[in-house]
Amino acid sequence: MPEWRVSVADVDAAWGRSPGRGTLAVCRADEDPLTLAWTAADRALAASGLSAETVDGLWWGCTRPPFAEGPSWTTLAATLHLGAGTDGALLAGSTHAGSDALLAAVDALASGRVDTAIVVVSDALLPATGTGHETSAGAGAAAVVLRRGDGPARVVRAAHLWEPRLDRYRGDREAETRETYDGRLFREQAYLPLLGAVGAALVGEGEPAGRWSVPDPDGRLARALTKRLGTSAGAAEDVGSADRARLGDLGSAAGLVAAAGALATPGSVHILSQGGGRASGITVVVDRTVPGADRVAAHLSGGEQVPYTRVLRARGVLTPTGESVEMAVPPGSAMFGRGAAEMLGLLAARCVDCGTLHTPPDVHPTCISCGSTKFDLVPLGRTGTVQTFVVNRTMPSPFEAPLPLVVVDLDDGGRIMLQGGDDGAALEVGSPVEIVLRRYTVERGVPVYGWKVLTRRPEQEVAS
Amino acid sequence: MSWNRVAVIGAGLIHMGELFDQSYEQMARGAFDAAVDSVDQGFDPAEIDAVFVATQRGTLWGQEGIGGNTIPSAIGLAGVACTRVENACPTGSDAFRVGCMAVASGVHDVVLVIGVEKMRDKSSDEGLLARAAAGHPVYTRGESAPVLFAPFATRHMHEFGTTREMLASVAVKNHHNGVLDPYAHFRNEVTIEQVLAAPPVCSPLHLLDCCPQTDGAAAIIITTPERSADFTDHPVYVAGFGVSTDHPYLHEKSTYVGLPATVEASRRAYEMAGIGPADVDVAEVHDCFTITEILDIEDLGFVEKGRGGVASLEGETALDGRIPVNPSGGLLAKGHPIGATGIAQLTECWWQLRGQADERQVAIRNGFALQHNVGGRGSGVSVVNILTTNPS
Repeated sequence: MPEWRVSVADVDAAWGRSPGRGTLAVCRADEDPLTLAWTAADRALAASGLSAETVDGLWWGCTRPPFAEGPSWTTLAATLHLGAGTDGALLAGSTHAGSDALLAAVDALASGRVDTAIVVVSDALLPATGTGHETSAGAGAAAVVLRRGDGPARVVRAAHLWEPRLDRYRGDREAETRETYDGRLFREQAYLPLLGAVGAALVGEGEPAGRWSVPDPDGRLARALTKRLGTSAGAAEDVGSADRARLGDLGSAAGLVAAAGALATPGSVHILSQGGGRASGITVVVDRTVPGADRVAAHLSGGEQVPYTRVLRARGVLTPTGESVEMAVPPGSAMFGRGAAEMLGLLAARCVDCGTLHTPPDVHPTCISCGSTKFDLVPLGRTGTVQTFVVNRTMPSPFEAPLPLVVVDLDDGGRIMLQGGDDGAALEVGSPVEIVLRRYTVERGVPVYGWKVLTRRPEQEVAS
Repeated sequence: MSWNRVAVIGAGLIHMGELFDQSYEQMARGAFDAAVDSVDQGFDPAEIDAVFVATQRGTLWGQEGIGGNTIPSAIGLAGVACTRVENACPTGSDAFRVGCMAVASGVHDVVLVIGVEKMRDKSSDEGLLARAAAGHPVYTRGESAPVLFAPFATRHMHEFGTTREMLASVAVKNHHNGVLDPYAHFRNEVTIEQVLAAPPVCSPLHLLDCCPQTDGAAAIIITTPERSADFTDHPVYVAGFGVSTDHPYLHEKSTYVGLPATVEASRRAYEMAGIGPADVDVAEVHDCFTITEILDIEDLGFVEKGRGGVASLEGETALDGRIPVNPSGGLLAKGHPIGATGIAQLTECWWQLRGQADERQVAIRNGFALQHNVGGRGSGVSVVNILTTNPS
């Protein structure tokens, strides 16, 4: 989940509407669908116990990838240290993309093309400001690791139904996603009939309805759908309702985010998704607890409550007057090309002779400890303790003050200075920290990613 | 035995500050005239056969294309040999060292070293901002100037119990000295309370822990000891100098409570001068931030490592203290026009050794004054020059 929560009532108040209920998960300026995808994929891979080298496929479903055209998939793959020959795809186009990604990966595994795949779904929609969509759209991501052969859970069934229908959409050259033309029309003519039919196709006559992950584009539709999904053998259970009230609708990530926690408990889970006139249902049978699924509830909890104005600023709706500082070299330059894999992979040059770690590698042709010129490229560890730090409070645009800068003694013996990923209030010399992927800036229209330092929280201590 | 193969015969500077109505060239002319006028027995500029120009970041501050041919024309010496020297914050002090080597080598006889920096043709925000985006596009992103030194304050406080009051005492002392210096950018006293209450800039440093952005120029004239007799009966000699470098990234420092470049540069300068820290009567050191002066006085050997904060608070570095530091007001009060800074510090040392520092004159016992700068990426370059009145 992104770091921030905004209350629906706060958004409503800004537009003179009566206050709605619940909160929405929203991105800081340095978070986006790619950083969320990285977080989920990194956690899923860690929970699977597999190393990045064993992964040969990456399928990513995302309504709004960071580049409408461009290196979205390769950037994510580099941050995950995937091999240069990795298979996969970025599926986009509508909130249906999450199911597209999951089924595409299943097919690639079934065909024998890949052995181990990461499926990640993420979204951080940019809703049209002031519309009802703004009070329902959240942000988040989930990931699962799939392998050919036996595992704790299986994808057993899928069903589809479609008709060309304009619901929420964003035209070419448009920045914000448009609200549906008529909410009642969408409910009666698209959402309920399509998803109701797809859901019915997943459950046999007389079977208990079981557990369902259902999309909820406006915060009310899921309840009506869940009622319809019940069978003579019992009512349907909507596994995501409590989390949705705190996080909002997660777009193409919604299906897997809500289902992820349910993978901890044996039984069937049906994942429904819709978008752009398509509706799909996927049934997963859980035979035994999927590693990591028991931690999903903790990952969905928490979040810092922020005012609506900060959300607007992070989305780039509110911008400071005046020019903002450009990077010394543009993202398309040779320097970025040279350093891209090193920067995105948080790679260090490890001296072959004495083991000293150097970051970034391309400015260190010579070992600073022993003078050797032979190095191995290795990913730096991402946990450590604070050697020293500052909190810069006078930053020009596009920086946001306060901006901490932290020198971290890494647990693997390396050391690195990076920006802090929050206001730095919790930083102390010696305190434990972790390093996470963040969007540093959008430079000349190009999102630039790098690594930031966060104070490690108690839940994360348990995790490591 | 000190090195003493070069003598300083003249030095001068202009009033530092926000010189909105003076151009880069006009500032240079002012400093040049001041240096020429300071020569005891008069000086014909035609004697100069080489010029070294110290300007650190002409381009950053809107002075594009600064090079070795801009200054001679501005001071009426077009045609003379001239080279621009750039070496981060020690640009001025290193240009002086290079000038000394040119004289000592016998290639040049009389050399002008002139430092000029025009920092306020751009807004102070823009200077700060440009620095935050300089260097590596990702790994040094957000590194504005205070970020190079504030991490050392955090760690010094953690390891030695140094307090913000101790840091503030440096600003209080240097502002006091600045009041006594007619060339200083700031000529007002500040109190510990004012320094503590100033707005935060880069925690733990607040506004009055930081030097200003200053326009300024300073010039110094050097020659051989033999020729110096033609110009003065009170020459000051170059006793020694040293330069050292360190790794450029803040995450590859061997320590966060000291600057190894300063330690090594001063060791080399002391060895060349044949003295130790205890022989120094007065020092002009790099106090771009209060913490920097605390690190400096430890790294230069004036106080034990870790005692810099306490020593400052207890007045050991005041004008009448055991080792007076920054009698000119330092970078904090006199200002930091980068290329001019080192030359202006050397001018102060020259005045102090010759007993010409008026109200801020300190006691000269051994006849040695030390000048120091440190800076650059990761504070990875330091220069120390030592001047003396002792003929050998």
